[in-house]
Amino acid sequence: MEQLIEELKKEIIEVLNLEGMTPADIDENAPLFGEGLGLDSIDALELIVLMEKNYGIKLQNANEGKEIFKSVKVMAEYINTHRTK
Amino acid sequence: MSIYIQSVSHISIQKPLSEEWMESPVVPDSSFMKSQEPDYKLFISPMEARRMGTLVKRALATSLDTLRKGGCEMPDAIISGTGLGCVEHTEKFLNTLIDNDEECLPPTSFMQSTHNTISSQIALRLKCHGYNSTYSHCGTSFDSALFDAFLQLSLGKIRTALVGAHDEMTPDYFLMLSKLDFWKTHFYDLEQLRRGEESVSISGSCSLSRRLSAEKQESTLCELKDMEMFYRPGILQSQHAINDILLRNNLSIKDIDAVVMGLSGDRDNDDVYYELRDRAFKNTPVLWYKQMFGESFGASSFGVYVGAECLRAGRIPQHLFFFPEEAEKFQKEPRNILVYNHFHDKDHSIILLTK
Repeated sequence: MEQLIEELKKEIIEVLNLEGMTPADIDENAPLFGEGLGLDSIDALELIVLMEKNYGIKLQNANEGKEIFKSVKVMAEYINTHRTK
Repeated sequence: MSIYIQSVSHISIQKPLSEEWMESPVVPDSSFMKSQEPDYKLFISPMEARRMGTLVKRALATSLDTLRKGGCEMPDAIISGTGLGCVEHTEKFLNTLIDNDEECLPPTSFMQSTHNTISSQIALRLKCHGYNSTYSHCGTSFDSALFDAFLQLSLGKIRTALVGAHDEMTPDYFLMLSKLDFWKTHFYDLEQLRRGEESVSISGSCSLSRRLSAEKQESTLCELKDMEMFYRPGILQSQHAINDILLRNNLSIKDIDAVVMGLSGDRDNDDVYYELRDRAFKNTPVLWYKQMFGESFGASSFGVYVGAECLRAGRIPQHLFFFPEEAEKFQKEPRNILVYNHFHDKDHSIILLTK
């Protein structure tokens, strides 16, 4: 799980173009939206694309996102359970 | 109503956000010249900038800089001209489309690839709810944007306008144009080119913002006295248009101190200007600017900038003269400058600038 969290942090930095940030700057338990990283709805779309492209997970229900994208740790746990690649 | 060019900011091959090109211009040494980037952190926070492509960042930096210079916080209108919009993001989106078999497409690249992203990002940043428009007419995109602002200011519909020209050249786009033989050669020699021994075109990226207003200020560069755009004129029609614009402004060709032409070094482009010079401007010094700023869809905006800056400075630097012998003879302070541009000999524009 630790390895997946680290990998996910790097992917988030790359996909969301978080210039000047390193994986160490992202608290895996901090909220991704609102507080914490302060991401917005466009970022949510980018994260959905990331999950589909890199892990083969297609989110069917938009409401699921609210739970899955709570934090990097929650996201990694979801990926670990549902990944197809 | 009088219309004034209050301030101009640019990002190009030359030193960014600076008029250093008047004294010591960067001389291009290859057909593909990259723009010099300023420190964007001075204008945009990293969190804001992370979704922006290079061109949007350039447009924002030049817009904010020109507004700051002119002491204006909120223009009545934001009008941009761009031939291709954000090519960098368009390429990214299209490449992903191919790589991912048309699935999992990134929303940011899609959003940023649209042409009107530039004007809208400027408006979002300024929180400007005024008139917002983007012209995408290849090489006359800027002229169209300027003409829109000119008409609206003339009619008194607006008092201030931010008018920009924004286009970028990416390595891939440059390569594609090279395959079409767009860039005549990779060799570049200014003197050979002036003597007509070489046919060269250098590419450039263009991000130039200017503020127009109906009021004269201390920072005013010059007056945008008049302008005209016309389609596929013959040489006689061009001459008539020049005479018309001079006549309605109570001027004659003798009153024009210099004519700025869009000479690029490419004979296919330049022949129109040579003919025009022989017919209409035999005794008028010819200035050029594409040797410094390169060729791009927004290049004509630099023509107006060069003319305006010379009027503000009250002198014309020697390196702007296409014919060096004219530079030696020219001693006076310029009062009236005409800017003539054409794109593929289809769309032509004449812009009259006065002190």
